[in-house]
Amino acid sequence: MRFHSDLKNIRTFAKLTAAFSALEKLVWLRLSDDTAHFTVVPDTGSQIWSALPMDFLFENCTIQSAEPGNTINLELSLQPLHRALKSAQNSISASLRLTKKKGVPVLSMTITTTTSRPSHGNAPAPSRQSHDDPFGDDDDFSSAHLETSLRREHEKIITQDIPIRVLHPDTVASTVQPVLQEPDVHIQLPPLLQLKSISDRFTKLALASNGSNKSPRLEISSNMHGGLRVRIATETADISSAWTDLDNPELDPAQLRVPIEDHPSTKFRDRGPDSWASIYVDGKDWSRVLSAGRLEGRVIACFCHNHSLVLYVYIPHYDDAGGDDAVLTYHVQAYTA
Amino acid sequence: MAVLTFTLSEEGVTAFRDALNCLSKFSEDVSIEARKDSFFLSTMNTSKSAYASFRFATSRFFGRYQYQGTGSFQEKFFCSMYIRGLASLFRSRSGVESRSEGDKQSIIDRCDVAIEDGEGVKSRFIARIIFRNGLTATHRLPFEVSMPVHAKFNKQEALYHWSISSRTLKQLVDHFGPGTEYLDINTDGDHVNFTCFSEKTISDDAVLKKPLHTSIAVETDEFDDIDVEDKLQIVVSIKDVRAITQHAAITGNAIVARYSLPARPMQISYSGDAISCEFLIMTVGERGGNPEKRTKKVRKGAANKGSNSISKAMPHLEETSRRASSTPSQTMADIQRKQAASPSMPPPSSSRQPPNPTPRLSAARASASRIGAFDFRPSQRPPPPTLRSESLFVEDEAWEPVRDDDEDADEDARLEWDHSADPNPSISHMGRGDDVRPSGYEPTEEAQPTAAESTFLDPTQRLSDVQGLALFPD
Repeated sequence: MRFHSDLKNIRTFAKLTAAFSALEKLVWLRLSDDTAHFTVVPDTGSQIWSALPMDFLFENCTIQSAEPGNTINLELSLQPLHRALKSAQNSISASLRLTKKKGVPVLSMTITTTTSRPSHGNAPAPSRQSHDDPFGDDDDFSSAHLETSLRREHEKIITQDIPIRVLHPDTVASTVQPVLQEPDVHIQLPPLLQLKSISDRFTKLALASNGSNKSPRLEISSNMHGGLRVRIATETADISSAWTDLDNPELDPAQLRVPIEDHPSTKFRDRGPDSWASIYVDGKDWSRVLSAGRLEGRVIACFCHNHSLVLYVYIPHYDDAGGDDAVLTYHVQAYTA
Repeated sequence: MAVLTFTLSEEGVTAFRDALNCLSKFSEDVSIEARKDSFFLSTMNTSKSAYASFRFATSRFFGRYQYQGTGSFQEKFFCSMYIRGLASLFRSRSGVESRSEGDKQSIIDRCDVAIEDGEGVKSRFIARIIFRNGLTATHRLPFEVSMPVHAKFNKQEALYHWSISSRTLKQLVDHFGPGTEYLDINTDGDHVNFTCFSEKTISDDAVLKKPLHTSIAVETDEFDDIDVEDKLQIVVSIKDVRAITQHAAITGNAIVARYSLPARPMQISYSGDAISCEFLIMTVGERGGNPEKRTKKVRKGAANKGSNSISKAMPHLEETSRRASSTPSQTMADIQRKQAASPSMPPPSSSRQPPNPTPRLSAARASASRIGAFDFRPSQRPPPPTLRSESLFVEDEAWEPVRDDDEDADEDARLEWDHSADPNPSISHMGRGDDVRPSGYEPTEEAQPTAAESTFLDPTQRLSDVQGLALFPD
């Protein structure tokens, strides 16, 4: 079993791991020739399923596995992975390698970086003479100056070993993605920071008035006419926030299992703006889900009335505008009224 | 009657706060020692594996400094205080998140301190804090008169040393993840390796709970100067190194480390603006096969500069240790050896009970009631880390999920260094020490060598290990 790859898009990778770790400590990573599947399935709460094109995060990648489809299944702890990726930010280069150290399998990240010396201001670029002995005999100013710039550019090799568990295909076979239904309503969510701060305020309010043992339920509703509502109802208060003029994106008929005119969302649209698809979510879990906002992507919410809520988080492709889109699918833990 | 009165300038308050912040990562209590012309803060941790001291020049930070030796304090005054109580006085009231005009008003302008002690006088540390907005808060803190314990470092014994920019070192330390315990410093030809690891044994199913194992290879050219035995492995507590580099990076000057062999103390020193700092931390580790071979590099300009700053810092520290010879000032190893030899010996002062919390609380409350409606009670929360904004890693707080208060408490607990949890870190748990430990040293350890052996972990990876065990052959 071999895996070796250079890393790219490290900033996005770090943000991904941060969004994942809002929900769970561990992530299941399935690597294959063209896709990297990141799956986060906590014991309770919302799940994330994603299939990122391999070239979204990796380049010069080598995978060799005896498993069918040349896949490697790993389980890894998100906190060390996140920490290692933060180390790799602003580095010259970083690569990832599956290896064994002292009999323990690890994902070893090798980072080449420099330390900045803010006190020295803008020192000149490294000199061509860098292969000469800079600590020669001449004591004049220019050599001292050269020395400073050389030291500024010294590279450091950082090795971050992330503990992992290699999973057998049988172990992961039982973990399957929840079935997706055709949604009643699909809508592009407002900026997530806005949605999150309002939702969090509602959650805290309910926690304060109810006592902390019961987790508050928020009602999230949307229609096919650009409307979204977040509502909290406690014994003493009933508050809701509403957004209007949001976008209900057009569906691509070619990708639908049913004719567009029979699609549930068409029916919801026809019933007018008073027809709402609603779902209840756990306030704290919802807050963790909305951490996806740090990915700075477009988010489409798909509601099945009184049944389910799925969020699609589109991750912008910084390096390569023509590359395949990367999407995270959030299966939000939902409750009926 | 006041034994000591001084006024801290705004700058002095900051320097004081930074020093206390750093000291609080070693111990609960700080020893204050004042003379006519110098002022010291120092502490030793409960396991006596780390000692920290700060010497303040009385000219720079003190607008006024008056020492009146009387009675038993003819030459110097000394006392011991609860660090968090003292540090909370100087906590800047303007939080990181709110920097409105009103908050700027509540910045501390200066601080008048009077220490009262003597016959018929209550022993009190009286701090009058004057804020920019004209408010004055007076705090009276109790203290305990106890002789400070100074650890002494034998510079003749320290064969090896290196010095490096404190900012560079801090940036390196920033790469180490949480949950690790030890830092292994070893040289290998042109490189110095800093390896951060944990030696907690972890069962197979909890393998994912292991912390990040980080190793950084730094070229020797990065050091201002370096003279270390090749392949010598020195292991210290990462917690102590973090505390030191955090503070050292504020000064921005070069850090000098001096040490000899494993199980002997390491001295880390640096000087700031009119402040000189010295730390002694205990080491463990392993010696390479060729003590003759050295990794050495002396840079002309830098070396001169380095030795200058050392010579500025060192005499004072030496002086202290010598003058404090009336106190039990030995190296930590000596202390420990002595303790092992005569267990009935009364423990040195740093292992005594912390001062009774009740008078401390009432003192804080008394001062609060004097001010009436204003809530000037010193918060018991530790001050925010000073260097947060400068840190390599900036957290994105807005995206953090809502948390329970309980969870918050957990979070805080995890972020803090817990001194109580691990009463004797570095030394006793490290295996591989049998050959380097002096005989008669820590006899309890000798009694159970098998336990030490089974939890034994190589601090670094050997090349031969990797080659033999390669899971994925090329």
